[in-house]
Amino acid sequence: MSLQRPDGPAARDRRSRVRVFLKCAAVALLGAGTAALAQRGYDLIARAAPDFTLHAAAGGNVRLSEHRGEVVVLSFWSSGCGTCRRQLDALNRSFATYRSAGLAVYGVGLDDVPERALKYARGVPVGFPMLLDPDKAVGRAYRVDNLPMTVLIDRSGTVRNVQRDFSAKSDDLYLQQLRVLLNE
Amino acid sequence: MHRPAARALCLGVALALLAAPALARRHDPEKLPEIRIRDLHYGDALFYYYQHDDFEALTRLAAYDHWNRMPHHADDAQLLMGGLYLALGMHNEAGRRFEALLKDPVPSGVRNVAWFYLAQVWYVRGYLDKAAAALARVNGRMSPELESQKELLLGNVLIHQGKFDEAIRLLSTWRGTYNWSAYARFNLGVALARSNRLADADPFLTGVGTMLASTEEQRALKDRANLALGFAYLQANEPAKALPALERVRLNGPYSNRALLGTGWAEASLGDYQGALGPWMELRNRNVLDAAVQESYLAVPYAFGKLNANAQSAEYYESAVESFDAENGRLDAAIARIGQGDMLKRVLTSGHSGTEPYGWFWQLKNLPDAPESRYLYTVLAGNDFQEGLKNYRDLVHMSELLERGGYDMEAFEDMIETRERAYAERLPKVDTLLASGAVAQLQQRNVDLTGRLQTIEARRDLGALGTEAERDQWARIQRLEAALAGAPDTPENADLRQRLALVKGVLYFRLNDAYSARLWEEHRSLKDLKLALHEAQSRWIRVEQARRNVPTNTGEFATRIAALKVRIDALATRLAATEQAQADYLASVAIQELEDQKARLASYQVQARFALGGMYDRAANAGATPAKAPAAEQKGAGEESPAETPAPAAPVPEAPPSEVPPPEAPPPQAAPSEAAPPKSTETPR
Amino acid sequence: MPDALPNRESVRAVTGLRRASAAVLGCALLAAAQLAAAAPPAAAAAPAPAAAPPAAAAAAAPPDTRGLDEQVQGLKKDVVDLNRDLFVLEEELLFPANTQVAVFLAVDVGDFFALDSVQLKIDRKEVINYLYTPREVDALLKGGVQRLYLGNLKVGQHELVAFFSGKGPNDRAYKRGASIKFEKGIGAKYLELKIDDRQRKLQPEFEIRDWE
Repeated sequence: MSLQRPDGPAARDRRSRVRVFLKCAAVALLGAGTAALAQRGYDLIARAAPDFTLHAAAGGNVRLSEHRGEVVVLSFWSSGCGTCRRQLDALNRSFATYRSAGLAVYGVGLDDVPERALKYARGVPVGFPMLLDPDKAVGRAYRVDNLPMTVLIDRSGTVRNVQRDFSAKSDDLYLQQLRVLLNE
Repeated sequence: MHRPAARALCLGVALALLAAPALARRHDPEKLPEIRIRDLHYGDALFYYYQHDDFEALTRLAAYDHWNRMPHHADDAQLLMGGLYLALGMHNEAGRRFEALLKDPVPSGVRNVAWFYLAQVWYVRGYLDKAAAALARVNGRMSPELESQKELLLGNVLIHQGKFDEAIRLLSTWRGTYNWSAYARFNLGVALARSNRLADADPFLTGVGTMLASTEEQRALKDRANLALGFAYLQANEPAKALPALERVRLNGPYSNRALLGTGWAEASLGDYQGALGPWMELRNRNVLDAAVQESYLAVPYAFGKLNANAQSAEYYESAVESFDAENGRLDAAIARIGQGDMLKRVLTSGHSGTEPYGWFWQLKNLPDAPESRYLYTVLAGNDFQEGLKNYRDLVHMSELLERGGYDMEAFEDMIETRERAYAERLPKVDTLLASGAVAQLQQRNVDLTGRLQTIEARRDLGALGTEAERDQWARIQRLEAALAGAPDTPENADLRQRLALVKGVLYFRLNDAYSARLWEEHRSLKDLKLALHEAQSRWIRVEQARRNVPTNTGEFATRIAALKVRIDALATRLAATEQAQADYLASVAIQELEDQKARLASYQVQARFALGGMYDRAANAGATPAKAPAAEQKGAGEESPAETPAPAAPVPEAPPSEVPPPEAPPPQAAPSEAAPPKSTETPR
Repeated sequence: MPDALPNRESVRAVTGLRRASAAVLGCALLAAAQLAAAAPPAAAAAPAPAAAPPAAAAAAAPPDTRGLDEQVQGLKKDVVDLNRDLFVLEEELLFPANTQVAVFLAVDVGDFFALDSVQLKIDRKEVINYLYTPREVDALLKGGVQRLYLGNLKVGQHELVAFFSGKGPNDRAYKRGASIKFEKGIGAKYLELKIDDRQRKLQPEFEIRDWE
């Protein structure tokens, strides 16, 4: 996670926003399309997704705000978490299918030992970038309290959905949600 | 960005004006010539511009301009800002800036580009003569990229003005890639065709219609050119020439339906109704919302009639009537719902924003899941709607950008308030202190003390440096001396005098002894005092300065923040109102288009019913049921004359030969990294 | 479907033309069809009105589009102005001129160089560790100069230490550092970091320049 200082639009995102003004219609309708999921008090829903820049295991850096306009899925994992691997595989499938429709998927690794995360990331055969969050700042920003945890962000950069854990049922819900967001 | 041309122009500006003469190092063909940035902040604005973040770039340019941080790039900044205003759809403002720039004595390089930009602005506004005039003001050659763009713009202007021969001359000698002049050639071909100069139009349209197309945008243009040529020939009664053009149109594309219809008509014109049935039957199986498809509903039975397959003809007419009825009902429902305003809102609310254009929106798959969506497809295709939609989306986009700026007015206010409180506490003390003139007083005292010491030193005034006790003693001794001075010479007095002299001597001795040391001490203290005073003085100055700054800081900030809040609220209201007005306008356009569809359907229904009626009449008169003949039969059995079925009318909406200005203008050729052509394709409109 | 909708005015200008031409074409095609078939005159008459509605619609043009367009432009301009004023306010508030220090980054390399990150320390304290994306690197290579850091410093002597890391051609990794001691007076201080490879043609180096 980079220590970005207050210069540049990226930094501005992180400051708490006040109602400068909002697209009423957009807001009202943002809710309309969202499936009613038990979000279990995830207070980032309907808020701007916190921006970040992280290093990818395969090299290069990725900044979330550069991907506005795409539907972005962030999936938090760690090398010790078994279910995470299944989650990542499932995500890989939807990534292949919907990539051309404007879907971006990123795995975000939260590990106590960075080398393990890197090794794990390089070993997982997925088509999307695996990002590394060694100081877990992004994990904190996204209130990750369970692994795997998957966050769906719409094209305008707003958090719409979160999935804690992974199961066949949650995968279905995720796909449903994804289609809604991709159609926007 | 939605106006790639202006972007491309901006880049051309950057290159043209700032490029040091070809310092491209290491001959990297991809690398742009070096631009010498002499003001760091101008470079910062460019940093955002190169990332296609036009809004941010413009904001920074405006702010840095306000602070006068770009003195070496005054003209460049104005030009770039103008270009960005243009790119963001504010051509009025852009025009103002270019005109202002041209009033100043700017170098000719800048003048030329400014005139070129202005020409673009006028063109956008539809003032073609002014556009041409502005282009004529470009004196001397600009960079190759800008030159070729200029030619194209001029070409488009000439076409619009109807000066076809000049346009032909210009386009024939245009240097640049064929693909980018394709739009101009298309426009020229269409204009010539409309002016009944089909022979002149043919090479242009055929050229575009057979060009190598690698992007969707190019393929669509190709189809359009072929369609235009085909229909132009049909119109000119040369169906044989129409066929090859129409057959080049893709079978599955935005123009395929009309091409199929035209192909059918060409075959029919050549007498081959069997041949006409091929494309028309294909067409008939497609989406009945399309006008060409609707026409095929009538064209097919018409062809059957011509082939004397009257039973089938009647069948298809009946089927047409039914389908049209059903469609009519659905149209009414759709019109009603649009009128309520719901559906449009759902369509218009796009979650999409960002620095890249929202081209994907135009695709059908993104319409909401509602029965009315199928109508919106045709509605969306309309130009008026598209333009209005663009405005609306711009507004949404802008408001999102502004909101994303994340300016936290409340946080600012808190900050100001805290500062104010802090100042409120300390300022009175500061003011009192400053008012007391303490330092000045100290300074004065210092001067006095220095003076005194000098005097003491000059006079070797031992007494002055004595302790208090010693000075007291000395004073008493002096009083006694004075008193004894006038006393008679008695032995007691003599004794007193002697003792006094002794005491005085001792005191004197002591004072004298200590004098040097004490003098030295005093000097040293004074030196210390001087130093302390000096420090106090500088600090004093700083405090004075800070105090001077204070009223401007908090008070002014508070006022500015308050004013900005008012503006934000006002802007929010206006935005909402304008969005509503825009949405209303779009609804009216949508409804209009649907009404048009209704009208067309109605006329087709009339024709179908009429044809049916005619057929039944004749059948009744003939007294025999119409013989069914397989479509393959050319001659009908038992009928003497070919069935007199009316030819369906063929008013083709969205007539193919419509002019299409290029996607803003082609990109600078020498800057492939700018990749402007892909900009057009990124917006598959 | 119209592709390439660039200049709204010009398209509007041709809309009328288009509608008229549709009418013309409609009649013309009808005429063509008539040639091919012996159509009863009555039927011929009927379709003609079909061509008319579009033209009529064009005559009864949509409400006040130009007015709305002006409105929208004005509104957009106000948004831009507002954003500028907010930008100005924020900077003057948070980084007033007399304490402001700004560090810029420019890149001037001939061969391809992928910058990965830049780290700044002022007076031994890390103030920023910026990771660069390909898009940003591209912008830098094109000649953009990034205002990397904005902060406040007291008057007096300070030290800036900067490191950059990245990959050159052949995936060769680079990490370089540079430092500068500077005097902060009253008034904004601008420092420019430059990654360039003029000195030694083989590897990029860091230079720091004081702009005041």
